[in-house]
Amino acid sequence: MSAQKTAQDQDDVLAMLADSINVWVGKLSEIVQRIVDVGPIRSVVNWGRIYSLWPVNITTACCSAEFGAASGARHDLERFGVLPLGSLRQSDLLVAEGTITKKMAKRLRMIYDQMAIPRYVIAMGDCAISGGLFHDSYSIVNGAHEFIPVDVYVPGCPPRPEALEQAIIMLQEKIRHSKVYERG
Amino acid sequence: MILSQEREQALIKKLKDRFPSEITEARVVRRSRPEILVKPENLVEVATFLRDELGMDHANGVSGVDYNREARFEIIYHCSSLQNKETRDIVMAIKESIPRNTPKARSLISVWPGVDNFERETFEMFGITFDGHPRMEKLFLTDNWDGPPPLRKEVRFPTD
Amino acid sequence: MTVPEKPAPLAAVESSRTADSGPQTLTVSVGPQHSGSGHMRLIIELDGDIIVNAAPDPGYVHRGIEKICEVRNIIKSIPVIERPAIIDSSNLNHAYIRAIEELQGVEAPVRSQYLRCLLNEMNRIMSHLYWLSIFGVFLGHTTMFMWPLGDRELFIDLAEKLTGARITHSYIVPGGVRRDLPQGFADEAIKRIAYFEKRLVEYDKIFFNNPIFTSRAKGVGVLPRSEAIAIGATGPTLRGSGVDADLRKDEPYAAYSKLDFGIPTRKEGDSFSRAIIREEEMLESCKLIKQILKDIPAGPIRRKAPIVVPRGEAYSRVESARGECSFYMVGEGGDKPYRVRFITASFRNMSAIPVLLKGGHMADMPTAWWSVDYWPVEADR
Repeated sequence: MSAQKTAQDQDDVLAMLADSINVWVGKLSEIVQRIVDVGPIRSVVNWGRIYSLWPVNITTACCSAEFGAASGARHDLERFGVLPLGSLRQSDLLVAEGTITKKMAKRLRMIYDQMAIPRYVIAMGDCAISGGLFHDSYSIVNGAHEFIPVDVYVPGCPPRPEALEQAIIMLQEKIRHSKVYERG
Repeated sequence: MILSQEREQALIKKLKDRFPSEITEARVVRRSRPEILVKPENLVEVATFLRDELGMDHANGVSGVDYNREARFEIIYHCSSLQNKETRDIVMAIKESIPRNTPKARSLISVWPGVDNFERETFEMFGITFDGHPRMEKLFLTDNWDGPPPLRKEVRFPTD
Repeated sequence: MTVPEKPAPLAAVESSRTADSGPQTLTVSVGPQHSGSGHMRLIIELDGDIIVNAAPDPGYVHRGIEKICEVRNIIKSIPVIERPAIIDSSNLNHAYIRAIEELQGVEAPVRSQYLRCLLNEMNRIMSHLYWLSIFGVFLGHTTMFMWPLGDRELFIDLAEKLTGARITHSYIVPGGVRRDLPQGFADEAIKRIAYFEKRLVEYDKIFFNNPIFTSRAKGVGVLPRSEAIAIGATGPTLRGSGVDADLRKDEPYAAYSKLDFGIPTRKEGDSFSRAIIREEEMLESCKLIKQILKDIPAGPIRRKAPIVVPRGEAYSRVESARGECSFYMVGEGGDKPYRVRFITASFRNMSAIPVLLKGGHMADMPTAWWSVDYWPVEADR
C-alpha cells in the first residue's frame, strides 16, 4: 500500500517536473522564434528557402507543357533553384498547372497536406485561377484557391515560360519578407 | 467532290443481301462514309459479319447521341479495315437506335475488343448499359458522382 | 525478321505463389503524383516483380469538352478543342475544322491547305520532341530531357512567327487559315531545319544508339501486330507493330496528296521500335516542311464560310502526332452543333497499355508505358 503510494508520489513529482520543463522549453522556443524572426538568422533561413523551391511532381492539366518548356534548356528554371523532384515529402512548391477537375482536386489536397512545411502554391493558368475556358463545365473546380491557399497566380492560357519565371521571382520576394515561423 | 462511290455501294449491297430485314436503312453519306441502321437485337451478328467477311478489323470509336425530342438514344460504332491499302479510307458507321426510357444495348466487346473503354464512356456519359460488357464501371467521373449522366440533353449549363 | 506474336517468355523468376498460400499479389497504385505517370493513375497488380495485371484509371483531366462544344458557337469552341493536346494543338484543330467544312460543303483554298500542312508538321515535330524529353526523364537520361526541349523552341519560335502564339495557335478556321506566311519565314525555317537535322544525328549518337537505352527498350513492352489491330491502336503505336497505316497516305487530306514522304514502320512492336519511329517521323516532317515551303502556290488564304452548322452528320479524321484523331459531328442548322464526338488517339491507345505491361517487369514499366506516348489530357478530353 505504502509502496504504491510512494510510486504514485514519484510519478506526480516526475509529471510536475516534465510539465515545468515543457513550459520552459515552450518559453525557450518562443524566445528562439522571436530572435530568429527579428535577427539576421531569418534572412539566412529565408535565403536557403528561396533558392531551393522544389516543385512536387503533380501536373493537373495542359499547362504542364509550358512548365516542361520552362524547365527545359532555354528557360531553365533550375537557375532559380527550381528542380522538379519525385518525392513530395522533400518538395516545398506545388504548381497547380491548369484546370483542376473534381477528381484531381481531392488528390491535390491530399498531396498538399502531405508536403512538409513551409509549402508554397503557384496557381498557373487561367483555369487554376478561375476555371478559364472550362469555367462552366460539370467536372471542374473553379480555381485552386477553393481548396488550397495560393501564393502566386500566373494568368495566361497557357502562361508563357517567362510568366512562370516571373511568378517564381515574385514568390521568392514573398519568402524573403516572410517570417520564418509564420507558416503552419 | 465528284468521285465514284462504287466501293461503298458494293459494301452496302453485300450487307443488304446478307441481312435484308435486319438492316433497316443503308446509305452513303459521302465518299468513303457508308452507314447502316441496324436493329439493336441483330447488332452482334452484323458486326461479326463485317469483321469476318468484309475485313473490318477494328473499331474507330463508339459515339452516343441523345435525341431527347424523339425519345431515343443513338449509338454509332465506327469501324474500318487495315487489310487493304485501297479501302483503308472507308469508315463504316453502324447505328442502332434504342428507346430513352430503357437504355440497354448489347456490347460489341466480343467482336472488337477495342470498344471496351468506349462503351464504358458511353455508359458513364449517357447511362446506357451494355449487356455482355465485363466492366460496366465509371471511367472519367469521380467515384461519388451523383448527378445525371452529363451528356444527356436535360443537363444544362449555367451559361446555356 | 519474324514478328513475335507473343511476348518472349521471361527468365525463371521465383514466384511468390506457394502451394498452400495461394496466389499472393500486390496491388500498386502509380500516380497521379508520380514522376512517371502524368495526370493519370495506373493500378498495377504485381506478383513479385512481374506485372500480372494493369488497369489505367483515367479521368483526372476530364473537362467535359464534348458538352462544352454543344453549348458554344463553333468558332468559340476552337480554343477549347485545342487544349486536350496542347503540344499538338493544330492537328486537333484541323480535324475539328474539317468536320465543320464537311458539313458546310466549304473547301479551303489551296494555299491555306498547304499552310495547314505546314503547321501540322511543325506541331508533329514539337509533339515528338516533347515526348522524347519526357522519355529522357523516365529513363533517367537528363541530357535527353534538356536537348529536345531546347530544340523544340526552334519550332515554337517559327510557329509563333506564323500564328502569333507559342503552342495554342487557333490558326485553322472554317474556310482557310488566319494568317499568311510572314516575310522571311521560309529562309528562317530552312535554316532552323538544317540545324535540327544535324541535331537528330547527335540524338542518334547519344540516345537512340546508346547501349544503355537500347538494352532497356529492345524487347520491352511488346505489342503483337494482331493485337494492335484488334484493340484499335493507332499512330506510331500501330506502326511500331508492323502496320504501315497513316491517314496522310491512306486518306490524303489537305495538301498531303501532293507531297512526297515516307511512313516509317517497324515490325518488332517493342518500345524501341515505337521510339525510333518517332525519330524517323521527325525527319520526314522536316522533309515535308521543306517541300511545302518550296511548292506553296500563291493565292487567297481564306474563303468566306458561314458561322453555322448545317443539318447533317460528318465524320472527319486526321493523323495527329499520336495517331488518328476523329470528330463525329451532328448539326441541326444553328450556330452550335447538336453533338460533337471527339475521339483522340490517346484514348484509343489506352487499351494498349495493359497489353504492353502484362508479363513484364515493374522496372520496365516506365519505358513500356511512355513509349506509347499516352497523353492523359488528350485521352480524357
